[in-house]
Amino acid sequence: MVPLENYLVLSAILFSLGVYGVLARRNAVLILMSVELMLNAVSLNFIAFSVYLDPDRILGAIFAVFVITVAAAEVGLALAIVIRLFRNRATSNVDEAAILKW
Amino acid sequence: MGAEQAWLLPAVPAGVFVLLALFGRYLPRQGDVVGVAAIGTSFLLFFFVLVDYVGIGEGADLVLKSWAWSDVGEFSLRFGIAVDPITIVMLGVVTSVALMVNIFSIGYMKGEARYYWFFAVLQLFAASMLMLVLADNLVLVYVSWELVGVCSFLLIGFYWEKRSATEAAKKAFVTTRIGDVGLLIGIILLWKESGTFNIEEIIRFAEHGGYGSTYLTVAMLFVFLGAMGKSAQFPFHVWLPDAMEGPTPVSALIHAATMVVAGVYLVARLLPVFEVAGDTMLVITLVGLITAVLTGFMAFAQTDIKKVLAYSTVGQLGFMFVALGSGAPSAAMFHLMTHAFFKSLLFLGSGSVIIATHHNQDMSKLGGMWKKLPITGTTFLIGSAALAGVVPLAGFWSKDEVLNAANHHWGVWALTIAGGAAVMTAFYTTRLFIRTFLGAPRDEHVYEHTKEPSWTMTGPLVFLATLAAVSGFFVFEGFGTALGFPGGITQFVFLEEPEKYSINLGLGALSLAIAGLGIAIGAWIYWGNSLERSTSLAQSYPWAYRWLRNKFYFDEAYQWGIDHLVLGAGYVAAWFDRYVVNDTGVNGSGEMTSWGGFVLKFLQTGRVPNYAMGIALGVVGLAFAGLMVRG
Repeated sequence: MVPLENYLVLSAILFSLGVYGVLARRNAVLILMSVELMLNAVSLNFIAFSVYLDPDRILGAIFAVFVITVAAAEVGLALAIVIRLFRNRATSNVDEAAILKW
Repeated sequence: MGAEQAWLLPAVPAGVFVLLALFGRYLPRQGDVVGVAAIGTSFLLFFFVLVDYVGIGEGADLVLKSWAWSDVGEFSLRFGIAVDPITIVMLGVVTSVALMVNIFSIGYMKGEARYYWFFAVLQLFAASMLMLVLADNLVLVYVSWELVGVCSFLLIGFYWEKRSATEAAKKAFVTTRIGDVGLLIGIILLWKESGTFNIEEIIRFAEHGGYGSTYLTVAMLFVFLGAMGKSAQFPFHVWLPDAMEGPTPVSALIHAATMVVAGVYLVARLLPVFEVAGDTMLVITLVGLITAVLTGFMAFAQTDIKKVLAYSTVGQLGFMFVALGSGAPSAAMFHLMTHAFFKSLLFLGSGSVIIATHHNQDMSKLGGMWKKLPITGTTFLIGSAALAGVVPLAGFWSKDEVLNAANHHWGVWALTIAGGAAVMTAFYTTRLFIRTFLGAPRDEHVYEHTKEPSWTMTGPLVFLATLAAVSGFFVFEGFGTALGFPGGITQFVFLEEPEKYSINLGLGALSLAIAGLGIAIGAWIYWGNSLERSTSLAQSYPWAYRWLRNKFYFDEAYQWGIDHLVLGAGYVAAWFDRYVVNDTGVNGSGEMTSWGGFVLKFLQTGRVPNYAMGIALGVVGLAFAGLMVRG
């Protein structure tokens, strides 16, 4: 059987890629995609732990379903914001949407 | 009606005070009759208490009634009344003198503005004073103590249109307040160790050695500080002569007979505790002696009748403290009682002169009043003789008791000083009487318009003169029995066994010689119409005259102290408040917050990636910190 550590390492790599994407990208759509990557890394963690540690092998899967649901809602909302941003300012670069400050 | 209902004595005037203060001005005659009736009721009730207490007999201390005041956790405060011999003496003195003063005031205050208010405050004063002497615990004593102080303040400043009156009221209030703070500290110190405010319990606690010796000495010195302030003892004596700005009946009641003796009463009450803290007894005696001598000198050069009497009052209070310091509360209370009678008589007599001469109280304009004011003159003579200590009158017996106690406890040095003060008393009393009532009138205009006032004023004079003449006999057992009190008045009034009082013939003769000497000197200098002798004396010792005339410059010294020390400290405190508390503390913390907000707001860039970086770095930082903590 593949050891748990492999899943955790894969998950950590995915999560780090996601963090890098969120921090390094300036395009709002790409940032959202990176956030999805982070969420999926978390879901992978849940399922891996569930398979290895939970006798019923079900709790992690339930969490993963919830994460997917919430992620779908979040993306729906966020994309709507991005569309409004693009309609108003003709850009999807987050650095140019910096008027909410002192 | 028995001694258990003694609380009615203060309750009646207290109720009438509310009535007069609120509705006095609408009542017929502005309610003066109601006031007199209230005090008269208290005076009558006093006899019920007296008879009942004598019936109980044996002079046992009785706590008659107490009520719960507040219970907070383990802390319980009760207030109640206690009737014991000291209380009985005080009740008698306060109610009788207050009644006489109230009657006298009807004539004296006639036509004055705020007539009803004068009577209202007199009622409040009587109620507070009676509460003070009935109280069985120190908290209630302190409350009443402050209440009589307030009444004193209100009445000294009764003519508040006059600047000097308001200044005098302020001075009296502030000076006594210094002592009052001491009293409060003393009470708290006494309570802290024993856990009770009850006077009886504190005495028992102290007698069983509950307090440490140094601790108790300090506590009792603080208590004595309060007594010194109230009884105007050196160095607090400065307020009483100024308090003569008040109406004369007030001077008689508050600043001679009752309120100023509250200090003597308090010390007498707590004397067993003072005796445990032995060193304090010497302090009490010394303060009394210094005051008696000093004020004797000060009275020499005053020309205002009331000021002479005021210094005399302070001096006599000094005598009472000498007696207390000598461990003789009976002598002190005896002198307190006789002094209350003859000194209130003298003050009311001077009030009668003031009214008769249309507000003239300067001896340099008086003289020869005897012919015009026979009743006032005669009663004033009796009062003066009693004060000087002439033989059958009240002052002789009580002063003799005081001298006896001083001699017995401290020895010849105390007797000598006290005797010297007694000579001075006799001297200035003689001077006062001769310059006011004998000789030829010095101001024809004043003399022409002088006539004896109405019976409401002369009546109290006659009554008090009778008391001043005979109250000294209370010390003898037979006299009390003759009045119908089984066992004699002395048995409960004077704490000791009645048979203990016997005249010490040698001392009696000495006491008489003292009075005779003082009177002789006074007569030699002032007899007749001329002031040649006194003027030449003043001219041959100009420095002495200047010092006496200016009361040893105490007021000037205090004024200097206030200007330089108190105000200086005030400036430092004001500087500290302005620049440290206000500018640095209050405004400083505000400005710090405001400046910090201004700097920190630039962190909010509006760029989402910056925030995301912040979150990421924060998480990493927290993770590291977690790892470090776990090791």
